[in-house]
Amino acid sequence: MSSFLFQIMALQRLSFRLRQTATHVRSLHTSGCGQQQAAEAVESEPEPLSVFRTRENDPACHSEQHMGQYYTLPSTDIRTLFPHGLPGRYQQQLKTFNEACMMVRKPSLEVISYLKKTDFSKPSLRYLFYGLNGTGKTMSLCHSVHYCYTQGWLVLHVPDAHIWMKNCKELMPSSYNDTRFDQPLQASDWLRNFRITNEPFLSKIKTKQRYVWTKRESTEEGSLLGQLVDQGISRVKSSSDVVGAVLKELRLQSGQPESDFRMAVAVDGVNGLWGRSTIKKKDKSPVESDELTLVYNLKKLLTKDWTGGAIITTLSQTGSLYTSRFDYLPQELLGERGFDSMDPFLPVSVPNYSEKEFESCYLYWMDRQWLQHPQSRTEEGKKEIIFLCNRNPSMMDRICASL
Amino acid sequence: MAASISGLLKPWTPRVFLVRWSRYNPYYLEPEVRKEAYIKPEAELSAEEKEQRELKSLRPIKAATNDVTSSVFNDPVISKFVGMMMLDGNKILANEIIAKTLENIKRKQVDKYHKAPEGTKEEIECNPYAIFHQALENCKPVVGLASIQKGGKFYQVPIPLSDDRRRHLAMKWIITECRESKHRRTLMYEKLSQELLAAFVREGNVIKKKLAMHKMAEANRAYAHYRWA
Repeated sequence: MSSFLFQIMALQRLSFRLRQTATHVRSLHTSGCGQQQAAEAVESEPEPLSVFRTRENDPACHSEQHMGQYYTLPSTDIRTLFPHGLPGRYQQQLKTFNEACMMVRKPSLEVISYLKKTDFSKPSLRYLFYGLNGTGKTMSLCHSVHYCYTQGWLVLHVPDAHIWMKNCKELMPSSYNDTRFDQPLQASDWLRNFRITNEPFLSKIKTKQRYVWTKRESTEEGSLLGQLVDQGISRVKSSSDVVGAVLKELRLQSGQPESDFRMAVAVDGVNGLWGRSTIKKKDKSPVESDELTLVYNLKKLLTKDWTGGAIITTLSQTGSLYTSRFDYLPQELLGERGFDSMDPFLPVSVPNYSEKEFESCYLYWMDRQWLQHPQSRTEEGKKEIIFLCNRNPSMMDRICASL
Repeated sequence: MAASISGLLKPWTPRVFLVRWSRYNPYYLEPEVRKEAYIKPEAELSAEEKEQRELKSLRPIKAATNDVTSSVFNDPVISKFVGMMMLDGNKILANEIIAKTLENIKRKQVDKYHKAPEGTKEEIECNPYAIFHQALENCKPVVGLASIQKGGKFYQVPIPLSDDRRRHLAMKWIITECRESKHRRTLMYEKLSQELLAAFVREGNVIKKKLAMHKMAEANRAYAHYRWA
C-alpha cells in the first residue's frame, strides 16, 4: 500500500503535464489501456469521482480495481445493442435515473478476460453463468455482450430462450420440413432486433447459397445479409426459415479467413432449449423442442463446429417450465440431454453481492435519490435491509423500491 | 369508569368488555414494540417511566398483532390504510398494492427530479411516505355532518370530528374514489398513486369531496344548535 502511494507521489512530481494529457486520452478512448495506467494512477489520487463510480466506461479496460464500481453505458449503445436484452426492472431504472449504470462484478470480468485471450482458429468456447435466482446472471451476460460490441464483434443475442418455448400465439407447420413447426411472430421480432444491433454487418456479409422462399421469391447467392433479414421481416410467414438461413450463413462464414468479423452468440435462459414446452399441437400433444424450427437452428449454432467467436449463455430458473424453484445448478436445469450437448463448457458462478458490492449499490441509490425513507439512511435501516434481502441483488431492489 | 374498576379486576376475572372486536380484559396492557424504549439505561428514566416499567413487570400484556413489527420502517398510519384496503382478509395483496403505489410515486417524482433544471430540484418532494402523509392531511375534513332527527325531520347538522374519525374518513374517501372512478384497465396502484399525487398539491376528486362536505356544513350552520336537541 505504501509503495503504491510512493509511486503516485513520484508520478505527481514527475509530470504535471502528463495529468492534463491523460484526461484528454481518457475521453478519447484510444487504443488499449497502457495510456490509461497513468490516468488510473491520477484517478486514485484523493479526488476520485466517488467510491462507487468509475470514469472507465470501456469494458475492455475494466480490471479488479474497478470491481464493485458502477460504469456508465452510453445511451446510443443501449439503443442499438439492447433493444431486447436487458431485464424489465433494469429498463425501468434506466428511465427513472436518466442514465444507464452497471456494476463491474467478478463473473463478467472473468469471462471478459477469457474472451480477450480467445484463439479464433480453435472451436468456439461455451461460457455458462449459473447461480441462485436474482443474483445478476443476465446483467453479467449484458456486460460481456457490451464488451463484445465495443470490440466490434457481431452480436447474436437471444434475450430469453424460454419465450420460444411457451405462450405461442401462432404455430404454423414449417414450409421447409413437414415435421417441424414455425413461430412467425417470435422470429420476426428477433430479426427486427437483430437488424437494429448489427446494422454495419448487414451490408458487408454476403450469402453463400441460394434460398427459395416461394415460387416467385428467392434470395440469390452473393446477396447481402441485409436483404435476407428484410425478406424475413416483410414476409412474416417465412421468417422462421429466414432465421435458420441467417444462423447457417453466419456459422459457416464465421471462422473463414476471408471474413473479418468475430461472432458472439449470447443466449439467456439456455436451459429452456432442452426443457419441456407448453405449446400444444392441434391434437393436444406437447411439442418437442426439436420440432420447433427456431430452437432446432439455434441448437446447431450452440455446438462446437464453428470457429472465430464465443458462445456466452445463462441459466434461468425464473422463466423455465416444469423445474423446481430451488434448482440452480447446471446439471439440474439443463437436464441430461442439455448437459450432454453443452458439455464441455466453462461454468461461471454468479454469487450474491459481497459486502463491498452491497455498499456500492447502497451508495449509488443514495446518490440517485432512490432511498427516500429517512430510516433507510441510518445504520439501523441498512442492517435491516441486509437482513431482509441477504444481499441478493433482485430482492434488495424489490425491498428498497418501496423505501 | 374503567380506571376505578381496573383496581378490582384480575386477569382471571371473566368480565369481557367488548370494545370493537377486542375481547381482552382492560387489566391487560398494550405491548411496546419499538426498540428505542428498551435501549434506555436505568439512569435516564424519569419517575413515571420507572413506574411504567414496574407496572409492566407485574401486569399481563396483550399479544401483539401480526401487523406491528419492531422494524424501523414500521408505520402505523400505513398499516391502518392497508387494513382498510384489504378485502376478504387478503392482507398480502393489500400490502403489495401499497408497496407498488409507493414505488410508483417515488419513480414519478425521482424521474421529475432528474429531468428538472438545477434550481428547481430542491422543491420536488421525492419521499413517498412524506407525500402520503401530506396527501392524507390535505384530505381530512375539518367538520363533519351528522343526521339528527328533530320534529319528525332529519337535518344534516355540522359537528366537530375526532382525529380518528377524520383520518378514517380521509382514507375511506381515497379508497372508494380509486375503486370506483377509474378506467377498467387501470390497476389499483396506478390510480392510487395518481390520486395521492393530486391530493398532495390539493387537486383531485378527493379534495373536491372534502370541500363539498365543508360547503354543506357551512350551508347548514343554522342547525348547529340541534346537536344539543
